Amino acid sequence: MGKLGVVAATGVAMLTLAGWMRPPLPAAQGGATISGKVKFTGAKPAMPKIDMSEEPKCKAKYTAAPPTDEAVVVNANGTLDNVFVYVKSGLPASYKAPAPAGPVTLDQDGCRYHPHVFGILVGQALAIKNSDGILHNIKAKGTKNRPFNISQPTTMTSERTFTAPEVMVPLECNVHGWMHAWLGVLPHPFFSVSGSDGSFTIKGLPPGTYTVEAWHEKYGAQTATVTVAGSETKTADFSFAAK
Amino acid sequence: MIGALLGLGIVLRFPLPPSLFPMQDTTRGKTVYVKWCAGCHGDGGAGDGPAAAHMLPRPRNFTGALYKIRTTASGQLPTDADLMRAIDEGLPGTAMPAWKGRLSDGERRDVVAYIKTFSSFFADTSQHVAALKFSSEPGGATGAAALDTGRQFYDSIGCRKCHGDQGRGDGPSAPTLKDDAGFPIFAADLHQSWRFRGGGSAADIYHRLRTGLDGTPMPWFSDLIDQKFLTDEQLWRLAQYVRSLSPPEAPEVRDVIHAPQITRTVPASPDDSVWGRVSRYWFPLVGQVVRKARWFAPAVTGVWVQAVHDGHTLALRVSWDDRTQSPDSAWLGFEQRVLETVAGDDSAPPKAEPWPDQLAVQFPRHIPDGMERPYFLMGSETDPVYQWRWTSRPRKSVAGLARGIERFDTLSGAPAGQASFDHGEWRLVFTRALATPDTANEVQLEAGRAIPVAFFGWDGSSGEHGSRMAVSTWYFLALDRPTPPGVFISPVLAMLVTLGLGLVVVRRARRRGTAGAGRRR
Amino acid sequence: MTATPAVRRYAAHPFWQAVAIMVGAYVVVVWVVPLLPGSAIVPKSVVLQYMVTVLVGVLIYVSDNEERWARFKEPIVAVLVEPRLRVARAALLVVVTALVGLIAYGQVATTVAAPPNLRSIHPAPPAEITFRGRSITLTGLENPLRAHPDSLAVYLAEGKSVYYRNCLPCHGDHLDGQGHFASGFNPLPANFQDNGTIAQLTESFVFWRVAKGGPGLPREGTPWNSAMPKWEDFLTEREIWAVILFLYDQTGWTPRTWEKTGEVGRGKGEGS
Repeated sequence: MGKLGVVAATGVAMLTLAGWMRPPLPAAQGGATISGKVKFTGAKPAMPKIDMSEEPKCKAKYTAAPPTDEAVVVNANGTLDNVFVYVKSGLPASYKAPAPAGPVTLDQDGCRYHPHVFGILVGQALAIKNSDGILHNIKAKGTKNRPFNISQPTTMTSERTFTAPEVMVPLECNVHGWMHAWLGVLPHPFFSVSGSDGSFTIKGLPPGTYTVEAWHEKYGAQTATVTVAGSETKTADFSFAAK
Repeated sequence: MIGALLGLGIVLRFPLPPSLFPMQDTTRGKTVYVKWCAGCHGDGGAGDGPAAAHMLPRPRNFTGALYKIRTTASGQLPTDADLMRAIDEGLPGTAMPAWKGRLSDGERRDVVAYIKTFSSFFADTSQHVAALKFSSEPGGATGAAALDTGRQFYDSIGCRKCHGDQGRGDGPSAPTLKDDAGFPIFAADLHQSWRFRGGGSAADIYHRLRTGLDGTPMPWFSDLIDQKFLTDEQLWRLAQYVRSLSPPEAPEVRDVIHAPQITRTVPASPDDSVWGRVSRYWFPLVGQVVRKARWFAPAVTGVWVQAVHDGHTLALRVSWDDRTQSPDSAWLGFEQRVLETVAGDDSAPPKAEPWPDQLAVQFPRHIPDGMERPYFLMGSETDPVYQWRWTSRPRKSVAGLARGIERFDTLSGAPAGQASFDHGEWRLVFTRALATPDTANEVQLEAGRAIPVAFFGWDGSSGEHGSRMAVSTWYFLALDRPTPPGVFISPVLAMLVTLGLGLVVVRRARRRGTAGAGRRR
Repeated sequence: MTATPAVRRYAAHPFWQAVAIMVGAYVVVVWVVPLLPGSAIVPKSVVLQYMVTVLVGVLIYVSDNEERWARFKEPIVAVLVEPRLRVARAALLVVVTALVGLIAYGQVATTVAAPPNLRSIHPAPPAEITFRGRSITLTGLENPLRAHPDSLAVYLAEGKSVYYRNCLPCHGDHLDGQGHFASGFNPLPANFQDNGTIAQLTESFVFWRVAKGGPGLPREGTPWNSAMPKWEDFLTEREIWAVILFLYDQTGWTPRTWEKTGEVGRGKGEGS
């Protein structure tokens, strides 16, 4: 299972809203909170540049710097972006997830997926939006969910749902081989994704002892055990090392 | 008997709905599967039988329940009839043969039941499995307006991204394509409908557009109809346009290339208008699996050959589909994946290198009087063959003697070679004098003789060079002579005699008829 | 309304019966026979033979009875004589003349054809061969793996693996010589399901063919055309015996044995 990044469960809540740039999640009112940071140690890997010259429309959207591969995004403060953190086990058998709110949107903009890593509830709609207006195909390659492969040659939105929990479902575009996104499908809303400051927050948990897993597309997964009661907030930090 | 045959035809024409498969037996299916299917698809159905490592595309992995050829929505399971169709008709262009006629109806039905046991999805009753409602083909398939509409949508829905501007699978995204198992996959060459996995008719193409090919980069397009981006009829037009890129019928292999004699000088250019008027001959090329190192995934699947002569010089035009003008750095990664996917005789896959494309035309050194000729696979040490060899980089043609695959001795007299590459197609014309001074080594091309000829092709971007190539067997080239006037004498004589006899018969019959009538009176 | 009696009148007329039989026979020979399992397209010369036979039969039938013969001749005579059928008469003359001209032209206007390729399918094997430098006597040789019946399953599994890794592209999944590379070769790869290949041979003969391949054929076997590899370059002796076991097991044939045949292959299956 790899090394366990278990961290003491005391500390001050670090609710950094800047890290909360992902689509809003249906969180229950009240309950406990688990939050933390995903640190990164070692040399920051250089990500290859993406040549978008086949798609001038997309290329034009990167005026400052040419786009690079998003497999590893290390933040300025030395934390790791795009880590999917979720409650892997520990929920009582009687737990019932709330009905999902509106759809989660995945946008194809500048020949990239936004967000790159995200989560969704079983049965919740995924709205796949093509803002580029050029041909993308979006292929979901799950193994527990049936796959799909939709052609979107124009500005349009297609909706799909997922029937089974699966961490993660790879999403890709075959027209643009560099376009990848990762979708965690869960039966409950207790998941978060580390943001541009490396922090994550899982809110509204019922009291209990949970196995929390942090998953990264390149560096694999780590777990931590966290016990929460009432409406307290506990911290679970993770640390990934360069390979 | 005829009635029985017709009856059988009617029964076979309409695929049985799934509900008519009540007698399936997975135990019997397993017996059939283990005996006939496991060699490629593996005992556990994971597409990993002993033959799998030599194949591209790889055999289907049944454990994921992902099937290319379906009548159901993208991501849905196939119907039993879909699975039955793949087994019955095979997947053209792959190693999967048609099993209808090879296994009994019952055996094939039982195998369908058994391969479904490899994935739990088939046992999951919440899975929705329903064939899509397909409209029937609108008329006017080959009309200019229909094809224009089809071409318009070929462009607007971005087919060219993978399949290329002219449909030969050479689009800008083609070198990045992988299937869901991570193996390299070629965007289909739309000029070879006889190799389409799900069949080559316009209806088959329309069905693939509606359903997509699961497990591959090919998406489904039904969402576009729902979202009113195009109409069902326009999707049909696209299918008809794609169909129109291939010949109306799968090419038939004819043994003899007839080179008509023309009055003008033979064309040295592959784009000369003469070639539009000369019939072309298709020769299938297959992997070199005879000598080490063998090659199981030939990229050049065949060549079209045309020839003309003017009494002094022969022009031989060879054209073939090739996605790249090798070497092409954009394809190096693809080449490496191909070499790693297709097992051969080397212990480790060779490293991708920027090989050129190559083509060889082979003749014996002398036109044989009897049946005997040199070994088809580039001759032998003691009985070499005379070859013309062309490479794309450096762009040149040479002639020489091959003494087996490994040895090629260049001769001083080379044929002229002119090549052009156009949207995934090489067109190459060799020209050479019929008679040459080096009569010992260079075949002297005589009119009216059957001259043995064979072809070899290499696609550098698929890692092909040396013994990794596509080969043909011996065929024949015949330089036709203009018809001598004497040939017309005997038919004219025969016609005169026939006409004369006919008139005599009529005259006699009439005379006798009148006489008979007279007697009766 | 009037069609039915007219049709019935034609159907009862011996001339039109004869025409119908001729047309029917042609349709059956040319289009129906190739549909039957195991048959191929009937060559033109054979079609001609059949049609002549049918014609003779028809003539015997119509001339068997005076009245029928007379009725049979009626339409023929009518076309030749009746003034009202002048147009038909002229047309017939023109058509027949043109046909004769065409056929005659087809006969004399020779085009170059592929030379006939006659080969002995099962040429006589040598008495002994050298396999990777070791001498093996073929005469009287049995498959040594059959001496260990307890291990047969293991050998068969090995043979199956050898087959699928090596033989499949040409000889095919169904062992019928129709693998996905078969169409590129001439002669076509051997069809092991056919009763004229391994079913007729001893395993020692098959061993020779596998070990030495196309290049090891005598001249009458047209070694220059055969794409069969010389498998001793790829496979061990045991692997070859194992794949031979597999061929017989998978097809259900039993090899010929030396006790029954004495000599093998000689004169068997000579053909083109």
